[in-house]
Formats: sequence, C-alpha cells, structure tokens
Amino acid sequence: MIEIRNMLFQYGEGDFRLDVPSLQVASGERVAVVGPSGSGKTTLLNLVAGIARPQSGDVVTVGQKLADLDDGATRNFRIRNIGLVFQEFELLEYLDVLDNVLLPYRINNSLELDSQVRQRAAELLKSVGIGHLRDRLPDHLSQGERQRVAVCRALLVKPPLLLADEPTGNLDPANKGRVLDILVDYAAANDATLVTVTHDSNLLSRFERVIDFSDFLGRAG
Amino acid sequence: MSGVLYLAWQYLAYNRWKTTILVGSIMLIIYLPVGLNVVVEQSGQHLNARAQATPLLVGAKGSPLELTLNTLYFSLDTPELTTFREATSIAESGLAEAIPMYVRFRSRSQPIIGTSFEYFAFRGLTLADGRMPALLGEAVLGATAAETLGVGVGDAVVSSPETAFDLAGIYPLKMNIVGVLEPSFTSDDNAIFVDVKTAWIIEGLGHGHQDLANPDASSAVLNRTADNIVANASLVQFNEITVDNIESFHFHGNLDGYPLTGVIAVPNDDKSGVILMGRYLDSEANNQNVRPRDVVEELLDTILTIQQFIVAAVFIVAVATIATAALVFLLSLRLRRREIDTIGKIGGGRWHVASMLLAEIVIVLVLGCVLAAGLTALTWRYGSAIIESVVMA
Amino acid sequence: MRTTIAPWLATLVVVAVLTACTREDSQNKATTVAGEANNSLTVVTVNYPLAYFAERILGDYGSVSFPAPADVDPAYWSPEPADITAYQQADLILLNGAGYAAWVANVTLPRSRLIDTTIAVRDRLIPIESDVTHTHGPTGDHSHGGTAFTTWLDFDLAAAQATAVADAIVAARSEHEAEFRAAFDGLAADLEALDADLMAVAEALGDQPVVFSHPVYQYLERRYNLQAISVHWEPDELPEEAQWRELQSVLQRHPAKIMIWEAEPLGETRRRLAELGVQSVVFSPGGNRPATGDWLDYMKAGIASLRSQ
Repeated sequence: MIEIRNMLFQYGEGDFRLDVPSLQVASGERVAVVGPSGSGKTTLLNLVAGIARPQSGDVVTVGQKLADLDDGATRNFRIRNIGLVFQEFELLEYLDVLDNVLLPYRINNSLELDSQVRQRAAELLKSVGIGHLRDRLPDHLSQGERQRVAVCRALLVKPPLLLADEPTGNLDPANKGRVLDILVDYAAANDATLVTVTHDSNLLSRFERVIDFSDFLGRAG
Repeated sequence: MSGVLYLAWQYLAYNRWKTTILVGSIMLIIYLPVGLNVVVEQSGQHLNARAQATPLLVGAKGSPLELTLNTLYFSLDTPELTTFREATSIAESGLAEAIPMYVRFRSRSQPIIGTSFEYFAFRGLTLADGRMPALLGEAVLGATAAETLGVGVGDAVVSSPETAFDLAGIYPLKMNIVGVLEPSFTSDDNAIFVDVKTAWIIEGLGHGHQDLANPDASSAVLNRTADNIVANASLVQFNEITVDNIESFHFHGNLDGYPLTGVIAVPNDDKSGVILMGRYLDSEANNQNVRPRDVVEELLDTILTIQQFIVAAVFIVAVATIATAALVFLLSLRLRRREIDTIGKIGGGRWHVASMLLAEIVIVLVLGCVLAAGLTALTWRYGSAIIESVVMA
Repeated sequence: MRTTIAPWLATLVVVAVLTACTREDSQNKATTVAGEANNSLTVVTVNYPLAYFAERILGDYGSVSFPAPADVDPAYWSPEPADITAYQQADLILLNGAGYAAWVANVTLPRSRLIDTTIAVRDRLIPIESDVTHTHGPTGDHSHGGTAFTTWLDFDLAAAQATAVADAIVAARSEHEAEFRAAFDGLAADLEALDADLMAVAEALGDQPVVFSHPVYQYLERRYNLQAISVHWEPDELPEEAQWRELQSVLQRHPAKIMIWEAEPLGETRRRLAELGVQSVVFSPGGNRPATGDWLDYMKAGIASLRSQ
C-alpha cells in the first residue's frame, strides 16, 4: 500500500531533514507511528498523502508513484484514495455536521454528490452515534463528537488508505477508545490500510506494527 | 460549480453581520449615484413638464423662484402679494387669459388654492365624482387630498389657522366638498380648490354676518343712529357658507385691491405673449413677470451641479469602501488560512478554493446590485412624490 | 428565433393594450369641465332682456337660455347649483351689470366667458344709497346700497347693452360676423324706434308728475325726463291705509295723475286710485319672459299704455 525508497525531504536551508531509505506498509496493515515531537511523523503522512513532495526518492501510495502526478492529479488521487484525520479535527465552522461530512464531494469535481452519497453520509453519522446531530454546527459539539464527524468525512469516500495524525490527541480517555475503534473497525471491515501517528502508548496494542520514527530523524548538524 | 456556490453561500450566511455590512456598502455606493440620478431626472421631468405647461406668471416683485414654486407646486412659502387688479388688467388687455391664484392657506397638510373656474380647463383637470364649485364656500379636492384627509363629496374641510395661536387672525372656514378630481399626477392632486373669493373669506376680507337691522341682532348693536349702525364684538360672523346665509356674505371695498399670490397668464398667441412681457420690463413696475420654464431650468442646473458634486463625493467614498472591502477580504483570507489548508489537504482542487472565494465576492456584489436595483426601482416609483412633498413643505 | 420572440412580443402587446385601455377608461369616466367644442354657441343670461337681444342677434347659430323660473323676479332669484353648472358650461354668460343679480358675486363662474353688458357705460349708471349703513371692525362705515339696475328701460342704454352682446357673439363666432351684424342692425333699429317713441310720449306728458309704484324706473325717469316719485306698492297686494295716507301726502306736493305699475294692479287698488284722480298704467320692466309675446311687445305695450293717458 505504501512504499518509500531513498526519500530525502528537508525544509528550508536544512533546518529539518527527513531521510527515509526504505519504508513499506502492506495493504490492510494497521501501523502506529511513534517518535519524539519534531521527528517528522506528520511530515511522513504529508509525504505519503502527496501533500508535500520530497526532494529526492520515490513515494508510492496505493500503487501510485506520486512523483508521476502533477498537483491537480495528486489532489484528485488523494481525495479518492486517502482518508485524512487530523488532531485538531479541522471542521469548517460554517457548515453543519452533514455538510462537513459531505465536504470532499463539494471541493473536487472528480467526486459526484448525489442522493446515494448523502444517504451514505447520514448512515455513517448514525453508525458512530451522532446521526441526531446532523444539523448542528461544529461549535455546538463536544470534542469527541467533532472528531467523529471528521472521521466520517474521511471514511465517506471509502478510501483504501487511512492516515490519522494524532486522532485522539485532544480527546478524553473514553472518546480516545471510541474514535480509534471506528478507525480500526473500518480498516478491518474494508481491508483498508491504517497508518496512525500517536503519542498514546495505551493505544499501541490496537496496531499490528509500530514504527519508531526516531530511526529516520535526520537533523542538520 | 454548485458545490463552490453552496460553500460560498454557507460562509456568507454564517458570517451574516460581515456579509450584511459588505452588501449594504456595495448597495449604497451603487444606489447613491444611480438613485440620485433617477430622482433628479424624474423631478426634473416633473418640474419641467409643469413649468412648460405654464406660459407666464405675474406676481409682485421679488423672488421668481418663490413665485414659481408657490404658484405651480403650492409651496408653503408665500411670495410677496400682488393684487386682483393685475389679473383684471391682464384680462382687459385682451392679450392673455388671466387666472388668479391665491395660494396661502392650508387645511391640515393640504394647500388651499383660491383660483378661478378657468384653472381646471387650463390644467386639464377632470372630475371623478361630484361637480365643480358653484357657490362660495364650496371646494373641489384633488385625488390625493381627498384620500389623505379621508373625505369625499358631501363631507367638509376646515381651513387651518396660519399660526398656532392665531387669536386675532384667520377664522377657520368650513368648506363643503362638492367634487373630487381624477388623479393628474401633479401637485394638483394634493390641493383643495376653491373660488378665489372663498380664499379671501378665509382671510377675513369677506364675511357674512347677522343683519344688523334685524331685531334678532339687537344684542350685537353697539350704537344706532338714523343712518348708521355700529356693531360690537359679539356680532356673529358665519364660519360656514350655507344657502341660508350666503346672501349675507359680502366684501368691503373694491375687489381689485384684494390680494393674490400670483396670476397665471395664458397669452392668446406668441405675439401677445411678447407684448405682455414687455409691460413688465419697466423697473418701476410693482410687478414682475416670470417664465416658469426659465426658472425651473435654472433650478435644475443648480441641482445638476449639486448632483455632480455629490456623485464625485460618492465616487471617492466608493473607492475608499472598495479598498476597505478588499482589505477586509484579504484579512479574512489570512484568518481562513487553516480552512483553506484543510480543504487542500483533504484533496480540494486549487481552482475550487479560488472559485469558492471568488464566489463569495460575486454573491456579495450581486446581492448589493440587486438591492441597489430594487431601491432604484422604488425610487423611480415614489421618488418624485417625495421630492414634491419636500418642495411643497 | 420566432418561438423565442413571439412570447415577448405578445407580452408587450398585452401590456400596451392594457395601458391604453386604462387611460381611455379614465378619460371616458371623467366629466369634462367646459362644454363640448362645436360650432353652435351656447349663451346664458341673467335676465330676459339680454336673452331677447342674444336671440335676435344669434339667430340659428346657437341657443340662448335664461334659467330663472317664470314666476320670480330674476334680479332677486338665487339659482340652485345645477343652474350654476349650466352657466359654467355655457360659451357666453351675459351679465346685466349695475349690481343686477347679486347672486353672481357669490358663485364661481368662468371669468373669461362673463360679459358685463353695461361696463362700457358704467359712467351712466345710477347709484342708489341705502337708507342705513353699518359699521363693524376697523374698516368704518359701509353701505349695502348699490346701483339701479333696470338699465334696459333707457333704450339708449339698452342699445349699448345690445352692442356689447353683439360684440361678444361676433368675437366668439367671427365666421358668422356678417349675419350677426345684420341681425344686430335690425335690433338696433327697433331700439331706436322705441327710444324715439317713448321720447315723444314723454314730451307729450311734459312736466306732468307721475308716480312709480316701485323704485325700478330710474333709467326710464332719467332718459325720458319724467317728473316722478316712487312709492313701494306691490301690484298683487292691497296697499295698507298707511300707504294710502303716504300716497295722499305725496300727491299733495306732487299732484300726479298717473301711477306706473310693473304689472296689472288689483281692481280695488285701481278703483281707489281712480277715486284719487290717479290712473294706473302698466309698464312692465320686462325682466322675465312674458307668457305671450316678447320683450319688444312688452316695451311697446308699456309705451302704448303711457301714451293713452
């Protein structure tokens, strides 16, 4: 599902440098990425999703070598194949719950919003226990409810790859487990690959493999 | 495209105060010059039409504008008074038809126009109900006056005192309404038309009272000699003209000396008009003659100049408003950096993001334009009536 | 293209028609202020003599009306609003002037169509002082007296009035001036004949005193040099004893043998006057239309009656 070879990524004049000689994640694998802050975990997810581009090396995601795609094609590829979940939820404050979930279908022409998609969105919300909140605005939701909305947004396109960056970082213990369950259950049910960045060691048991990112950290001296 | 519009609309609706202010600002900077232009154009046409239809005015020497506004548009400001002699003189000259005008009194908010029978034919006024005034004390109302006062044929109107505490001045005269005119969409619609003698009665220059020779009036007699009776202040003067008391109404002195605010002169032909105008060229003359279309043209030129200044000022304000709106937009972009990044990260196309932001601007502009268009339409419909009421006041 | 244009065109046409219909309806609904403009001239007068003059001059080129009822004195008649509307709609309104028909001062008439038939001879009008003045307010004494108004009894003044009528009619319908002037000439000749006739009768009377039953013969008295005093007797009322005594007192200083009446007096009055040596002569002023004949007949009859004394 993910293959990285001889990848080098650095910011600016070498203030930050990420050097990954080799990294593979198999299809359907559930992988946790751990490491100290600033080690490049989020950068890795961005590189895998095509949000950032390495200076050298290959990144192949869901069978697609990202360097072969231009920016527009990369976005199209990403929206159809990768579900993203962020630590800060990243909901649009002016859209209600349902519209936030449907957001991918409104921001990319490669996806068509029809009644089936709306139905699927409503069912997703119901399946995570917030179907009754579909008309609420985000600032009327709890943290846990907001993250569940963000997860539904990520799952709506039925992506084969889920990238979650500290999805439980801002949640209380009860909701941490709840949100991770949703992600893991989806991956298991759809044979999807789940890569999760987390600081929470209590959650590591839910993953098949743990990648310690301190191995890949490279900082300019 | 519909997704982009939907997102743009949701953003604007969520930030309703910001949106309202922006839309309002756009609306104003479009409407102000356009609406002003509509009002000025319409008022100009309206004023001009009335002025073109009135060949000459004659009045006492003074402000031609005051004379024109009072005679044509029944403004509250009364010009210097001339006399009925002027109307008689013009009629006797054979050069023009003379229509006396005494526009001084009001019944509540409506002007009372003392004039002659010829006024109605001159202005092309026709009856919707009732008949023309026949007896003194009868009135015919314009369509709007009847509606405003809530009266019709068979009702009455009462003249209002000139000042709040008009203790020793004009008596309120009750006038019977015998006719209501069809709408003419001119100042005439707001007017109460009476015979000029009725207007003089309102002023107290003519009156009716008990017959002092009658024994019933003995209490009003102060002193009686063989050939003269002096009345005291208790003499009952009638404040309504009825068929029973009309014969007691009389005027003292020669009517030629009675006041008018102006005379409308309708020359028989161009040559007569020129000769008539020549009579007033003498600087020693007590009266002036005025061509309303010249006065109105000058007034409209002044209004046009003022309009141009206002438009220039509005243009400067518009530039400032647009600059401010642009700044607000750029600042809000900075504040929405994270939202834009999120959309990009999820997979939103660059074009989509740009379109969404552009759509917000377009929607605000369109709403502003639509509201400005609506206000302009309202102004087109009601603007001239508002202007006229301001001029009349 | 045709299918795109047609609906718009149809809408425009419908709107235009509706607008036109609205305007037309409002015009049809309205009552016009002045009479319909056509060739026939409508003339209204305040008394019968003027109506007679107008009828003689106008001929078939218009209509003359005189709305006062036959049984009232037009000088003191008060018209109803409907009568005033008839005056307002006429092409010419002939006034006698000299304060005749006081109602004219209290009504609204189109000034441009008013013709005062004695305005050109106003220096020849006879003023009357009222018995009593009254005073109120700051303007001082004033009288409700006025001017004697039976101007047509001076046939020379009558001719001046007829001239004013003719001039007004010619000004209104100048295309028939020749016909109007010819008709006026005939009327003027008749008035001249009346004037000469009455002059002769008056000359025959000489300084013989006469009594007028009512003070309405001022112009007759002045023009024809009659030595007259007026009393206030009504032909259809028996005079009271005080009035008889007043008459006898008048006769003592003014030994009249003739009393001139506006209409036939009561038989008893005539008889009693005859006992006093006073013969009753009827010379109707002719202010209103007679039951039979016309104004000229009226005047001729009056002159004949006077001549027979």
